[in-house]
Amino acid sequence: MSPDGRHRSLRRRRWLERFLDGWAIYRRNPLGWIGLGLLALFALMAAASFVPPLIDPMYHPMAGVDPEITSSMGPSLRHWLGTDFMGRDIFSQLLAGARVAFLVGISAAFMSVAVGTAVGITSGYLGGLADTLLMRLADMVMVMPALLVVLILAALFGQLNIWTVVLIIALFRWPGVARVIRAQTLTLKHRPFIEAVRVAGASHRRILLRHILPNVLPLSFLYMTFRVTSAIMIEAGLAFLGFGDSTTVSWGMMLQWVWKTGHMFKAPYWLLPPGLCISLITLAFYLLGQAMEEVLDPRLRKEEGGVG
Amino acid sequence: MGLWRYAARRLVQIAGLFYVILTVLFIVFRLAPGDPVERMVDPSMDPEDAEVLMAQLGLDRPVGVQYLYYLKNFVSGDMGISFHYGEPVAEIIADRLPNTVLLFTSSTILAAVVGVLLGKRASWSKGRSTDTVLTFSALATHTVFLPWLALLLIWLFAYRLGWFPITGMVSEDVWLDPGATWWTRAVDVAHHMVLPLASLFLIQFGTFLLVMRSSMLETLKEDYILTARAKGLPERVIRNHHAAPNAALPVLTTIGLSLAFSINGGAITETVFTWPGIGRELVLAVSQNDYPLAQASFLLIAAVVLLANLVVDLLYAVLDPRIRY
Amino acid sequence: MPLVVVDGLTVGYWTAGGMAPAVEDVSFTLEKGESLGLVGESGCGKTTLGKALLRLLPPNGRVLAGEIRFDGEDLLAKTEAEMREVRWGKIAMIFQAAMNALNPVHRVGDQIAEAVRAHGPGLGRDAVRERVLELFRLVGIPEQRLRDYPHQYSGGMKQRAIIAMALACRPKLVIADEPTTALDVIVQAQILDEIQRLQRKLGVSLVFISHDIAVVADVCHWIGVMYAGHLVEHGPRDEVLGDPGHPYTRALLASYPTLAGLRRALEPIPGELPNLLDMPPGCRFSGRCSRSRPECRDRKPGWSVLSPSHRVLCPWAKEDR
Repeated sequence: MSPDGRHRSLRRRRWLERFLDGWAIYRRNPLGWIGLGLLALFALMAAASFVPPLIDPMYHPMAGVDPEITSSMGPSLRHWLGTDFMGRDIFSQLLAGARVAFLVGISAAFMSVAVGTAVGITSGYLGGLADTLLMRLADMVMVMPALLVVLILAALFGQLNIWTVVLIIALFRWPGVARVIRAQTLTLKHRPFIEAVRVAGASHRRILLRHILPNVLPLSFLYMTFRVTSAIMIEAGLAFLGFGDSTTVSWGMMLQWVWKTGHMFKAPYWLLPPGLCISLITLAFYLLGQAMEEVLDPRLRKEEGGVG
Repeated sequence: MGLWRYAARRLVQIAGLFYVILTVLFIVFRLAPGDPVERMVDPSMDPEDAEVLMAQLGLDRPVGVQYLYYLKNFVSGDMGISFHYGEPVAEIIADRLPNTVLLFTSSTILAAVVGVLLGKRASWSKGRSTDTVLTFSALATHTVFLPWLALLLIWLFAYRLGWFPITGMVSEDVWLDPGATWWTRAVDVAHHMVLPLASLFLIQFGTFLLVMRSSMLETLKEDYILTARAKGLPERVIRNHHAAPNAALPVLTTIGLSLAFSINGGAITETVFTWPGIGRELVLAVSQNDYPLAQASFLLIAAVVLLANLVVDLLYAVLDPRIRY
Repeated sequence: MPLVVVDGLTVGYWTAGGMAPAVEDVSFTLEKGESLGLVGESGCGKTTLGKALLRLLPPNGRVLAGEIRFDGEDLLAKTEAEMREVRWGKIAMIFQAAMNALNPVHRVGDQIAEAVRAHGPGLGRDAVRERVLELFRLVGIPEQRLRDYPHQYSGGMKQRAIIAMALACRPKLVIADEPTTALDVIVQAQILDEIQRLQRKLGVSLVFISHDIAVVADVCHWIGVMYAGHLVEHGPRDEVLGDPGHPYTRALLASYPTLAGLRRALEPIPGELPNLLDMPPGCRFSGRCSRSRPECRDRKPGWSVLSPSHRVLCPWAKEDR
């Protein structure tokens, strides 16, 4: 094996070891298990969302209408969770909503964390004026209520599609990540091993990509789980207020239909599932994040005692 | 005194921030597709009136001059005429702003106070059932989807039990009755406010509880707590006088950071409960393409967030003497 | 009757790996007005011992055996409420200033006043204020700094304030835990002088904990050397310094350059402290001892008495001299 190849396989083994060590801590946390369990359930729902339209076109979440039904009906064998005001199947809508929630949550979180990490390490590594300017910008973006920003943009640019929404959420949710990553970069910057590679003549690009980035990535990943929850909440809020992408079904939009068509008092079978799903998926990502935080931050682990 | 200088410095920074937001909004309004004039002057307006309004807003001048008009008009409180209401935007805003401030500040203060007290309580009984129950309810309310929670509250307390009005801020019969005293009117508003306040309170207090709890647990490990114990002070004094003020500092930071989140929630709550505030006005304005009103509401909300941040910063400085210097 | 009698004290911490003994079978006495210096590397149990005297062990710490008598009273038998009377009223503690021992959000004067008030409930506002001012004068902090916050003080001044706070209730015993660590050398010397002066002037007893035997040698009448939870040597200052009996004490002395005019080559002690959860059954220093004999590892070391007041936890102490 070439020396470089050996180096790479060593590196890979170190990652694997780190992961296994982390997992050993994670699996002791019961709340972390609840989070993972819920996520598995929602992933299953998202995967299953492709099935109902294949069984019968009337189970298509958007376009499928049960020809025999013209108003909202309670649960039955034919429609497990009942139908909405125009005879569409609530259960298949709920499955499709899981798909949209994952899509929005994960892509928006990934983008915002990518932006935040990039800004954070640049700002922390470069320091000086660039640092000041980037952090001022972060301060400003941080205080903007993202939902209302999306609203005002919706007013100006007309109906937003789901990807635009994802993009805007990402563009307004990076400052928190950037700050944490910047702080982490600052502490890394002065560690001996970074000083050593610098003295050895490594370029800035190499130091950033090969030495600093791998060390802040776990933290970025942690923040991603928290960003997923906020992205899902913002998208759902937007859809609830009636500014969602009208070509996809999301849980927020389902709630909007219940509310706007005045079914909230008479159709609990329609009101309860979407709200419960949004709340639970948020909870699941939150628990996942908390448990991961415990893995990454030794101070948060349950006291194992110590000699002091 | 150090505190005043600090306050002045923060005020200047915040004014600068607001100016940037003002400018960005101006640019975005010009960049958006369509005719910017149509966005500030109702196309269905009487042509002569429209011309007067355009002159007043400087829309017949070059963009640079328009910008100066925009700033001048904003400073003098002249932000155009709402398409939907046909009234000056400033008047609508002035009418709605107090309602938002009332709902939002009372829920935030209530949530912070209750969150801090319960968080302290939870940290005392760490690992016992009180702690588990408190932490779990904080988690649940922290992650619940606000509109859904609001709808459930309406369904249960307003529809099924009939304890509170379903929506609105006032009952017409009380407010149209000339003989009603200010007291009966206040009670009427309070009665309407219970459910929206409860929704906003519920989604906010969990964060404060969780932050206070973990911050308190951290603080109890500090050396000055050991000093306080060595001094022979009773446990109650150590917790309330020595640990809590230090532990509350991160809670204040959290209030500042979560303001944007709570403002989102405020707009949703106002909309669900038809509470006549700025957040609801913004949502309505956007759905009716009432650009002047949407713009002004947005700016006012941004101003409210910034000012609330200022208040939080000042509270922090009062509590933490290290900040002022 | 001695002021402090510690007899067979054993303190342990509950850890993930079981009960770790941090202090084991430690005995000593201290007379009124005298001072004892406890020396040892970090982790040797000296801080644990200091905290145990005030019963301020962390939640996972327990006194497993032994007795602590103060002024004739059994401290371990006291209730928590009775113990609060003892804390600061009779035994006060000087913490490291560098250790955030002052609460950052309260004024320094108020923190001292709080201690005065806690143990003098009948005192009026003016009496408390007068007492705080008196304490400030005693340690040499200008009066106008009374209303300042800790972060406005320099390190040395913080340390003085902490000393003032310790003296607030006229305690009979003061435990000073590394009070000069993290101060620069000149300030360190000033603080040491201050502690010595006040100790003599006020006639309080002092337990002085330090990792630095040179510091302890300056201040204390008695020296106790601790290693891995054991008190391995205890005796009057001059005897311990002039005629150290334990190999560890000798190694400690050799690792300080300018003691008593000796300019020996610096000799770092090879090896590390043994893991508290996995101690050798015999002498704990045997792994690092240059004079170690095969049986040292397995047999519990016995005491050698070098003089009526000087004892050493090493059976070979007399032969190896």
